[in-house]
Amino acid sequence: MMNVERLQRFNWRPVAIGFLLVLLLLMPFNWFMGQYTTLLVFIGLHTMVTVGLCLLLGYTGQVSLGQAAFYGLGAYFSAVLSKTYGVNPWLAMIIGAIATGTFAYVIAYPIFRLKGNYLAMATLGLGIIMYVLFRQMAQYTGGPDGMGGIPQLAIGSFVFDTPFKRYYLVWFFCLSILLLSQNIVNSRTGRALRAIHGSEAASASLGINVAQFKMKIFVLAAVYASLAGSLFVHHLSFVNPQPFGFLGSVMIVVMAVVGGLASIWGAIFGAAMVRILSDELLLRFGELDIVIYGLILMLVMIFTPEGLFVRLKSYYRRWQTGRLGEVEL
Amino acid sequence: MTNTALQVTGVTKYFGGLAALDGVEAAIDAGKISAIIGPNGAGKTTLFNLITGVYPFTVGEISYQGTSLKKLPAHKRTQMGIARTFQNILLFPHMTCLENVMVGQHTRSRYGFFEAALRLPKSRKEEEAVNLKAMKYLNLAGLGMKAEQDAMSLPLGQQKLLAVARALASEPSLLLLDEPGAGLNKLEKMELSDLIRRIREMGITVLLVEHDMELVMGLAEWIFVLDSGKKIAEGTASQIQRDPKVISAYLGEEVEYVES
Repeated sequence: MMNVERLQRFNWRPVAIGFLLVLLLLMPFNWFMGQYTTLLVFIGLHTMVTVGLCLLLGYTGQVSLGQAAFYGLGAYFSAVLSKTYGVNPWLAMIIGAIATGTFAYVIAYPIFRLKGNYLAMATLGLGIIMYVLFRQMAQYTGGPDGMGGIPQLAIGSFVFDTPFKRYYLVWFFCLSILLLSQNIVNSRTGRALRAIHGSEAASASLGINVAQFKMKIFVLAAVYASLAGSLFVHHLSFVNPQPFGFLGSVMIVVMAVVGGLASIWGAIFGAAMVRILSDELLLRFGELDIVIYGLILMLVMIFTPEGLFVRLKSYYRRWQTGRLGEVEL
Repeated sequence: MTNTALQVTGVTKYFGGLAALDGVEAAIDAGKISAIIGPNGAGKTTLFNLITGVYPFTVGEISYQGTSLKKLPAHKRTQMGIARTFQNILLFPHMTCLENVMVGQHTRSRYGFFEAALRLPKSRKEEEAVNLKAMKYLNLAGLGMKAEQDAMSLPLGQQKLLAVARALASEPSLLLLDEPGAGLNKLEKMELSDLIRRIREMGITVLLVEHDMELVMGLAEWIFVLDSGKKIAEGTASQIQRDPKVISAYLGEEVEYVES
């Protein structure tokens, strides 16, 4: 009996989180996974964008098929301001985040008069428009060829000039965003968001300003994406429109779905799965990669609509309670 | 001299060319249980939706405690102390019973995005208070034991009680109940009547729309009768039961059928 109680009382959560943190800390070292540092940086960046979509789609129930547009806005604000106008990269990043957030705020008003499929279409259109702008405003953005020579981020004389250093920078941002999002979800605001997902009429009847909450979370997701975009261009020192097109937005949706829409930490899992798939496995498929994303999306939605990560978690729980049951016998 | 909590004056609402409500007048007394009855399609739920801001109203006036509701969006009316339940319940799925009721406390707590994201002391303190209050209302509805259960896993009767607890958690001074008794068995209806009486004792004005005459006659101190969008009678239960207009609205067809 004593043993059972101890087993039940033992909380694995901090152990698991600690293990993950140590893993994250050690991964970019050469004797561990050093050759994958760039991939790990991309996973971190995409996690940031995906968390925003999880909050918007998974918690609030508002679809966006144009998240890559905000990712791109952050990227181009940082690239153009820091390279062409010589603005301090950190300042450029902040300006980018504020400008992208403001842009999201302005379009939120008309766009959230729409619901469901219509909202999906409108955000899809937004993504396409922004992609065309990134390509066509060549005098600023460098057009389809992109622009290079974007300066590095630095703190004083410490320059983030290697992937190894940037890995820690990106994951610092990523984990901060995950933590903030986790706190938001477990709060009055998070409850309001989930309530809006459940029933807008009932939410309004309980005093929730539905339109305002949708707008706020849309802006927050846009700012997350913008920050990721800024870090992205300073990581590559180069930017072109390719990652911010329709395929980019689809990838973000697939990441959110694989990780579990209503799961903050699942975003890491989703981003990692899709990035590994796209960077390591799908290269040989060339243009067919969008077919594969479509297939993954379909399969996940049919078999584990709550998300692969969430399903695995629940299997683990069941296994654990099953084990406890045996001990009790 | 009684206080009027909610004043409805000449409210008319058209859907397409059809008048769902046609010049309805009603004064709901503060601190009492009032009921709106009427055959299907009489406009009862429409009136509820106008009072709570689901639809806008253009003709007529609805005022609560002397303040016009005309320009207020739904969520502001909740802040003024008007809460409601829905005919189709509309609980929040994938949330526990406790969380459902905690959402009800939304307007009674303040902290926002920023405090939540950084888990500032203010957010934790308020969260504790919200939790306690929600538990109190859950217990009031007799659902304290179900706090951690998923709201949708409850049987219908308890779902309805939970919806009432959720509305109560917004700490209203006027509670609108839309067909709270529909689909409940006798025992559940008794529990419901009990709860509604306790709500009245808390000093909350109750207005219900209900088809179940037994429930209405047993509870309501004042009854409004609507038929085809018009108010045809109002009064106490015994006055209503004797009113020939009410009898014909409800029984007119049937009497003819029996005669032929």
